[in-house]
Amino acid sequence: MAATTLAPAEQYNFDIVKKFAVMALVWAVVGMSVGVYIASELAWPFLNFDSPYISFGRLRPVHTGAVIFGFGGSALFATSYYVVQRTCQARLISDGMASFTFWGWQSVIVLAALSYVSGYSQGREYAEMEWPIDILIEVVWVAYLIVYVGTIMRRKQPHIYVANWFYLSFILATALLHTFNNLAVPVDLFSMKSYSLFSGTQDAMTQWWYGHNAVGFFLTAAFLGMMYYFVPKQAGRPIYSYRLSIVHFWALGFMYMWVGAHHLHWTALPDWTSTLAATFSILLLMPSWGGMINGIMTLSGAWDKLRTDPVMRFMIVALSFYGMSTFEGPMMSLKEVNALSHYTDWTVGHVHSGALGWVAMISFGSLYHMIPRLWDTRLYSARLVEVHFWLATIGILLYIIAMWISGITQGLMWRATDEFGNLQYSFVESVAAMIPFYIMRAVGGAFFLTGTVVMVYNIYMTIRQAGQEEAALEAKLAAKMANAGA
Amino acid sequence: MSEQNLQSQTVQTTGHAWDGDLQEFNNPLPTWWVYTFYVTIVFSVVYWFIYPSWPIGKGFLTGFSEITYVNKAGETVTSHWNTRALLAKKLNEQTELQKPYFSKVAASDFGQIAKDPELSGFVLSAGKVLFDDNCAPCHQQGGQGKPGFYPNLADDDWLYGGSYDKIHQTLVNGRRGYMPAFGEVLPAGDIDALANYVASLSGIGHDAGKAASGRALFVSQSAACYACHGENAKGRQETGAPNLTDGIWLWANVPGAQKPEDKIAAIRATIAAGLNKGVMPAWGGRLTPEQIKVLTVYVHELGGGT
Repeated sequence: MAATTLAPAEQYNFDIVKKFAVMALVWAVVGMSVGVYIASELAWPFLNFDSPYISFGRLRPVHTGAVIFGFGGSALFATSYYVVQRTCQARLISDGMASFTFWGWQSVIVLAALSYVSGYSQGREYAEMEWPIDILIEVVWVAYLIVYVGTIMRRKQPHIYVANWFYLSFILATALLHTFNNLAVPVDLFSMKSYSLFSGTQDAMTQWWYGHNAVGFFLTAAFLGMMYYFVPKQAGRPIYSYRLSIVHFWALGFMYMWVGAHHLHWTALPDWTSTLAATFSILLLMPSWGGMINGIMTLSGAWDKLRTDPVMRFMIVALSFYGMSTFEGPMMSLKEVNALSHYTDWTVGHVHSGALGWVAMISFGSLYHMIPRLWDTRLYSARLVEVHFWLATIGILLYIIAMWISGITQGLMWRATDEFGNLQYSFVESVAAMIPFYIMRAVGGAFFLTGTVVMVYNIYMTIRQAGQEEAALEAKLAAKMANAGA
Repeated sequence: MSEQNLQSQTVQTTGHAWDGDLQEFNNPLPTWWVYTFYVTIVFSVVYWFIYPSWPIGKGFLTGFSEITYVNKAGETVTSHWNTRALLAKKLNEQTELQKPYFSKVAASDFGQIAKDPELSGFVLSAGKVLFDDNCAPCHQQGGQGKPGFYPNLADDDWLYGGSYDKIHQTLVNGRRGYMPAFGEVLPAGDIDALANYVASLSGIGHDAGKAASGRALFVSQSAACYACHGENAKGRQETGAPNLTDGIWLWANVPGAQKPEDKIAAIRATIAAGLNKGVMPAWGGRLTPEQIKVLTVYVHELGGGT
């Protein structure tokens, strides 16, 4: 054994990648199911069943936590551990620490969900976890950073591949954001309840500095890391422009940190702060698009793959939605546009065109590429990938179109006045006007969820098929050995 | 496509390879990308000149855009663009539109408001939003009410009176309905008899014998139901005691019961437990006198008031 070259299984720690990949799919189904349920609660309120545990307010963070941190987080752990090992030609520095990040991170998702349904929440969007869970996240994250940086330091390549810059910026920025947003004083040592260290406008600023950079570094930079490895791999072509990747990486990192305050236009926030946030959002447009250009142009010369390779199609559609969302975001951050869009469903539609269209689609594409290679087999069915692709795409379109219409309707109804100077509509009338769109949204979500279930079946069959192939190979080998012996 | 292939051959890669076949071309930045980025910079600088932007010391660049508005003290002031000034300006515009109508409402009595076509148009517009935002959470849209909780305002059955003055009084001061719990003072048989009598008043199947003794109790000094509900059980608006003969039920869930004995049981439960939940808040301190006047006419119209 020692004399032969190492098989990939020994050269790299793929066990941890497999675990995270499987959990990404588990959380995708859980998180999206909860999403479809709460979307249905808004369309058919009786689904609350007068129970506080399944009311919208408690299930909503369960949904966002399970899809962002459960599905998105696990997909990032899986792909980042896969990419860093393969592009550095080095095994993760510590199997024990990597394993700790797995069990620690899964505990975080479960504990957070349980605490939300029991009514514990910090009331900070996308950071609802109370302080004991925050401390666990902190520990897990530091372990992740050590494993990741340690592995990069052991690389056998002089240069660090671009995907790793993005993953590393995500790990560093998330550590920073998580720490400062969650500075809080517990009521007492044995109480889950805590109070933020900040108050008033500063507190709101801190929350949205976190909130928007969670979008920027967790949901954008990290998934760009994914894109920079899996798109050229799947296309079998070099990245379009190294120079563009450097420029847009630094510009993206610099601009993003400023823009959180655009979530607080028309509030007690100072006007100058909101202006700066709006302009840095506009300045962010081209740096964001750098990633899209690099991804799409990488495919130039291999466009035929779009027809033949459904996995590639996931990636290209992901990049298209990425481009659309990163254009829509800066537009919505302008004061005048925001005056119409803020507090409406338009925001919900915007975040889902990014979350479903970009984050989920690029993750699906990457997982379809990675999982057969991890288990050393082929995808069970390319046809089912196609089915998944169309279910997901139709689902996203239904979702965001419903939210665009309902959001703009809400914005217009709330501000409409008549010739007497009176408001034309009461709030409850705007709620009643939303019903058809809430139904449409729930249907769109159900389409997307169904696609994910199809994927889970396809992946399950792929892994089963890998087991069967291995068993067949072993039987063949055993027969050969027996023959040789006889 | 062939052009792209040509480009790939002429553009050099960086010379590095990762994980077998991962490479990077070193294409220059796309020109349109660079110029669009410059455009966003120019846009941002212009935006900084329009609106308040960079902080300097304890102040900030105020920007060139200005807003002229009337402040709370009634003075016309011009300030650099800011959210509060803009809000004040926009609110003033709406208030100016409303002003002539509200002044006319203040100067007119209820009957005049209802008759004046222009004013009644205003009442319909302002009253609807005032009603939907303040009253509909309890009385529901259109004032249809909620049995067991909040009275229907769209029928012509009024607990405290449906005249303009009575509705106005209800709105300004609020109301508090109360009925003692007779379960504590009367034997169960008496309560059953009273329930049968009350059922008989609106034609619900009942025991005639019990109803007769119930009638006697109703007007007796021991139960003294008549004191509030009146000798003929037609109610007394001075006390808010409802008419028991019109088949309209707010508290006892009579319409919800199918069989006559269940309907009587619902009445019996209300007599035994009494009522202490018919609370309507006072709006006198929360809405302006003109707004309450508008609501008075609006609610009067809803129920085809008396």
